[in-house]
Amino acid sequence: MVLQDKITRHVCPRNCYDTCGILASVRNGRIIDVQGDPKHGYTRGKLCAKGYCYIRRVYSPERINQPLRQLGRGTGRWQEISWDEALNIVCEKILTIKDRYGSTLPICLNKYSGNFGLMNFALEGLFNSLGPTTQVLGSPCWSAGLDAQMFDFGANINSDPEQLERSKLIILWGVNPAWTAVHSLPYIFAAQKNGAKVITIDPYFSETAKKGDWYIQIKPGQDGSLALALAKIILENGEADIGFLEKHTSGWNLFKEYLGSLHLEELSENCGVQKHVLMELADLISSSPPVFIWAGFGMQRYVNGGQNVRAIDALGAITGNIGRSGGGVHYASLSTWKLFNYNFLNSSYKNRFLNINNFAHEISGAQSPPVKMLWIANRNLFRQDADQKELVRALKDIELVITIDQFHNETTYYSDIILPTTTFFEEMDIVPGYWHHWIALNEQAISPIAEARSDLEIAKSVSGKLNNLRAGTCSFPEEMDEKYFLDREFSPETYDILGIDHWSLLENGPVKADIPTVSWENKKFNTPSGKFEFYSETAENIRLPALPILKQPSRCGEKYQLRLLNPHSQHCINSQFRNIDWLQTIKQESRIYIHPITANMKNIKNGDSVKIFNDNGEFFIKAYLAEATPKDTIIVLQEPGDMTQNLNKLFQGVTTDMGNKCTGNPGLAIGENFVDISIS
Amino acid sequence: MAKKMGFLVNVDRCFGCHTCEMACKNVYQLEPEVRWRKVYEIKEEYNLPERSFMSLACNHCEDPECKRVCPVKAYSIREDGIVLQDQSRCIGCKMCIMACPYEVPQFNTKLKKVEKCHMCFERLDKGQETVCVAACPAEAISTIDLEEYYQNGILDSLPGFPDPDITKPTTRFIKPRTGIQVRRDNNG
Ligand code: SF4
Ligand code: SF4
Ligand code: SF4
Repeated sequence: MVLQDKITRHVCPRNCYDTCGILASVRNGRIIDVQGDPKHGYTRGKLCAKGYCYIRRVYSPERINQPLRQLGRGTGRWQEISWDEALNIVCEKILTIKDRYGSTLPICLNKYSGNFGLMNFALEGLFNSLGPTTQVLGSPCWSAGLDAQMFDFGANINSDPEQLERSKLIILWGVNPAWTAVHSLPYIFAAQKNGAKVITIDPYFSETAKKGDWYIQIKPGQDGSLALALAKIILENGEADIGFLEKHTSGWNLFKEYLGSLHLEELSENCGVQKHVLMELADLISSSPPVFIWAGFGMQRYVNGGQNVRAIDALGAITGNIGRSGGGVHYASLSTWKLFNYNFLNSSYKNRFLNINNFAHEISGAQSPPVKMLWIANRNLFRQDADQKELVRALKDIELVITIDQFHNETTYYSDIILPTTTFFEEMDIVPGYWHHWIALNEQAISPIAEARSDLEIAKSVSGKLNNLRAGTCSFPEEMDEKYFLDREFSPETYDILGIDHWSLLENGPVKADIPTVSWENKKFNTPSGKFEFYSETAENIRLPALPILKQPSRCGEKYQLRLLNPHSQHCINSQFRNIDWLQTIKQESRIYIHPITANMKNIKNGDSVKIFNDNGEFFIKAYLAEATPKDTIIVLQEPGDMTQNLNKLFQGVTTDMGNKCTGNPGLAIGENFVDISIS
Repeated sequence: MAKKMGFLVNVDRCFGCHTCEMACKNVYQLEPEVRWRKVYEIKEEYNLPERSFMSLACNHCEDPECKRVCPVKAYSIREDGIVLQDQSRCIGCKMCIMACPYEVPQFNTKLKKVEKCHMCFERLDKGQETVCVAACPAEAISTIDLEEYYQNGILDSLPGFPDPDITKPTTRFIKPRTGIQVRRDNNG
């Protein structure tokens, strides 16, 4: 067969702000290079370093090429089996469990954000076609911030981030786009060129902070104190936007009173920013409209995380920046996510939902019936989850662990069966993002590598096998192909918003959704009062503070006094990309950032091997002394190199104050992890 | 007048993302250990407590040591100053690798030959940007004609960049500025 040379369009499906448009050049059925898609209006023909390495992922010699069975979990004795054998093992187990318990509830799916494409929901679709099953609910990531903005604005939307360019003051609050959203940098630089100032607020001196005009080092988890202090000063200086406040907000008087009752000294002490700096910042904010605040995910990973975001929203409101072109408080947008139907999530059964952030405990606690089969997809659960010890313990009662992945990792180590899956170059999909407003089609560039199957194909083959073994077991639509699947995901309204009448037109290039460029421009909020709510009854009704009041992060105990933060690193997304050879050539040795004074107290010198520990476990790593981190905080980037140790072992799984409303459960407060260090 | 092409490296803009380096690797499908462009960390300079970066490839020098020492005359200088290496002539003796002060020529262990950055001359000839320049999200690198280009404050060296007197590299630099840092150390 002669294969035609072609260029195919793609969307990077990683859990990342940028959701880039990609072009792949295909020759003789092989991808020969990848480029940014110049028709993508936000990423404008560029990729990040990880993106340019995709070929090495697709054709990596480490890819799992066919289904595998492990002869004893953790033994590493893998046996190659055929798809038919693998499907038999999986399906017979499903039927045995169903017969034994008279229910499919013991079958559990744990899936999250390894690939944000719509098609991956086929796995939920498979589970929802079996009967009532056990699934996970919630997100480890952004839950608290989503709730906070939901209380204040009534929806999770943002302005088109291209608006950054129009801003006069950009506040990058707990976000490090130089590492985690490179395609936003050009917009920030353009604003700087037009005279805008950039302030970065972060506990550690990040790469982004270096590019800004101001860097404010804040005590971890004290973002609320800083935001409230600034709001108070601005109000007392007579610089509040009273017109906006009186007309478009609810609860302003109560909040004003609350601000009046706060003491600046105390707030300054809390957040570690001196009063005269607070004054200067407040001046800068009131004198430089429009102010674009980008509130990152980092600051909400505390027990007061949601409250922190609400305080920042309040600062945006007091200064009248909400609904202003080039201004506003931006966190994440669900606008383009919500355009699709997510048919696979519909279930006519009563599923049992476990808290994704307390999974280890809930899976072993689940009774009548217990969980007996665990299916993991789009996740490296045994790397990323909290409370790893309990998770491993919980496994002993699980009869079959199935993992879908492309590579071996900590999770396959604990699995009985691995099903190899396609990369996004081997399947068709749509991937909405949570930051920019573009939608693009992901075409299929090449045939699946070896025996890899897409999640949709896996769902179909499981269904087929089940019904073969026992007719009527699974109602998954086996005739569905990718095209039919996409047809079902688009509604007429969505086509309207995208300005196309069929998704196949996206073959010509990405389109920008016709959703408001400036969020809340018309000042009509989706809250119960229709206004920006300083006072949220919705919050109050679920026993949260009604006002954006000051709440403290956890305090360290006697025993463990150092806060351990693990922000995202530059060349990995969680544990993805760590095994890409091109990236390995530029990888620095993993290191722990310690302030020189702290290191001195512990007798640690640069380059020493250090043990990080608490009651949950220990972790070994090389010391790097840098004033980039404060004295009470140590930083280890999430760059999982070796598989023999896992930093998440040290984290018990404290959760955030908010998250129930938008994601069903609170998020993980991973900033609340206290440890000690010693020379090892 | 003949051109004199060089790279302009704006350290103020560069944030060390390595996109330039990977974009080069992607287009020329380089072996993993072969790096035509490298992003270097500039240690503890300019009042930054850690890490500013410079992205370097071949410096397309005016007096290239690589060319001088190569026994088979694999190196040549184009009219516009781009230093090319003809891999078909290369015998893999590594003399150029030892001679270049900038560790630019790379040994391809599969082919047992040397290779290096050619400033994407085919693209330049077509009026396009080099791959690395086009890929940089920060517009931190560009190609300039030194005969034409003049800007106040551009430097011909930075800390860590070997003495330009040896080979007269055409790479030029813009050094980083520093913003205001308000740290908890300084103020309680
Ligand atoms: S940088 Fe090295 S390889 Fe490039 S021209 Fe100069 S001497 Fe030759
Ligand atoms: S100019 Fe071309 S060959 Fe040289 S480093 Fe850049 S991309 Fe690579
Ligand atoms: S792509 Fe640009 S910003 Fe990134 S390392 Fe290279 S020169 Fe620096």
